[in-house]
Amino acid sequence: MSRKFIEIEGQHWVEQGIISPEQHQRLLALYPEQQRAIGLLPLLGSLLVGLSALSLVAANWQELPELLRLGLLIGSMVAAYLGGEHFLQRGFRSMGIGLVALGLILFGAGIVLTSQMYQLVGYDVTGLLAWVVAAVVLTFIYQSHFLFILAVAIGVLAQGYSVGSLSSYSYASAGLMAGGLGYYWWRRPDALCGAILATGLLWQSALLINHLHIKITWFFVPAMLVYAAGDWQPNRPAARALQAPPLVAAFLFMLGLGMFGEAGSYTDQLRPHFVGFVGALLLVFGLSVAGKRARGHLSSAADWLLLLPGYYFPGGLPLAVAALVVLYAYTGSVLYRGYQEQASDRVNLGTALFILTTMVAYFKLTWEFMDKSLFFLLGGLLLLGLSWYLRRRARAIPPSNPPTH
Amino acid sequence: MKLVPTLFLSEAADKRRRWVALAVAAQVLFILLVAGAGSAISSYGRAVVLRTSPVDPRDLLYGDYVTLNYDISQLPRPLWRGSEAPRRHRPVYVELRPTPAGYYEAVAVYPAEPASLPADHVALRGWIVNVWRQGLQLRYGLERYYVPEGEGRKLERRAGRQPLLVHVSVAPWDQSRITRVETTPKQAERP
Repeated sequence: MSRKFIEIEGQHWVEQGIISPEQHQRLLALYPEQQRAIGLLPLLGSLLVGLSALSLVAANWQELPELLRLGLLIGSMVAAYLGGEHFLQRGFRSMGIGLVALGLILFGAGIVLTSQMYQLVGYDVTGLLAWVVAAVVLTFIYQSHFLFILAVAIGVLAQGYSVGSLSSYSYASAGLMAGGLGYYWWRRPDALCGAILATGLLWQSALLINHLHIKITWFFVPAMLVYAAGDWQPNRPAARALQAPPLVAAFLFMLGLGMFGEAGSYTDQLRPHFVGFVGALLLVFGLSVAGKRARGHLSSAADWLLLLPGYYFPGGLPLAVAALVVLYAYTGSVLYRGYQEQASDRVNLGTALFILTTMVAYFKLTWEFMDKSLFFLLGGLLLLGLSWYLRRRARAIPPSNPPTH
Repeated sequence: MKLVPTLFLSEAADKRRRWVALAVAAQVLFILLVAGAGSAISSYGRAVVLRTSPVDPRDLLYGDYVTLNYDISQLPRPLWRGSEAPRRHRPVYVELRPTPAGYYEAVAVYPAEPASLPADHVALRGWIVNVWRQGLQLRYGLERYYVPEGEGRKLERRAGRQPLLVHVSVAPWDQSRITRVETTPKQAERP
């Protein structure tokens, strides 16, 4: 409760005789006046001075002697870290963490600018790797979500540059993200951090598949490994957040297969060596199911429906139909679990997925056989009927039900 | 009772501050090491001049650096001295010798550092990018030159017409870096 609220409302309570003036004072004493952060004017003033210094340096960067440039880079970085410590000690956490993040960004800028100064930016990812290491270490030291997210971003950037510009995959950077940040998340699970970490790891996996020039379906082995890690995490909301990105990727892939799988030329690109690939996927599946059993939510094993390797079907209509069947099975399982657990958010998600799948199926199966106006007429009728049916179902559960998972 | 948690907190804060100091010191050290490596290469390295091959000038300038393509970036296959066939991504050593025109040319490509070379020859480390029947494509980590602002366009315009001479420092520990880029003097243009 804010002090201001008690100050104003308390006056009324005293006037109405609900509390005595002493009690009002005692209540106020419970909420000591916050130390005003810093005056706004000096802050804005120093910001302007800082900006002018920055533009002065940037404009004359090339003319400055090398040692001075080096000194400026290191000096500003150290100053940012010191400032961060200063504010953290006084209890201004967000300001302090902000300055630490600035220091981390300045470290990256320092590496890049110094190696440019000496014409060293060749074909080496060591500098970027050092940046990733610094980001992970600072995340552990300060235990901050903001630094965690920044560290994921730096890891994503480093790997993107390594693969894109240096055409080499940095296993160390991938390992730091999976091992370092993964361990941090495991110990301090959090939903937002989980979703961002999983997205970063999917990026690392996609780049690895691209770098190794193997069939793209291999992507789902590391992706589902991330998913399986979520099954072992006891904190359910955080785990669901970690599992969402791999599931979204699998769903979109299946949807794409339903839409474009008919062209047989494509599907050749999707079939890795059967025994090796399916074996690896089954291994991850076993790990995931074991986790689900251990944590007691075996019903979510239906998520794995999306991973059925339908692309081993011969291409053409059978493949598209198989993909749609899988999508319907998955969507149905989401809806079923939603109603079963009375979780309205899951019902909403299932509904949205159901509509999306239906649209794709309809488009796929009818476009070529039907007159276009009939297509739109039937499509409209189908959606209207669907919404009527779902609304009727939705009335069956009270909307204010808290999600159980 | 109240003293214990604050004492504990300040102890934790002290511990954290020590880690912070260590982390920041390591970062400063890393930047100094990068700078140190840069200046060590030019003070202990041997100066070599390489000639660039003309490239499409429109593709030369990327933001703040120019892309350089050297004569020695493509070498004929007979220069290969390995017992096995050359493979992509392998590190190699290219033996360079000075020419009367003032720049260096490639004599041989070795899979490992050659034990002894004539006094005026230099071994430059590179990597195989591509192998085809007649030749090898190599990179040296010298393909980017960060130019002072505004000079990129000038360099680009000249490089389209005539080769550039790139001064490179090759350190005894295999690292190398560009120290200077100049446009070709007139006599070097007609070999």
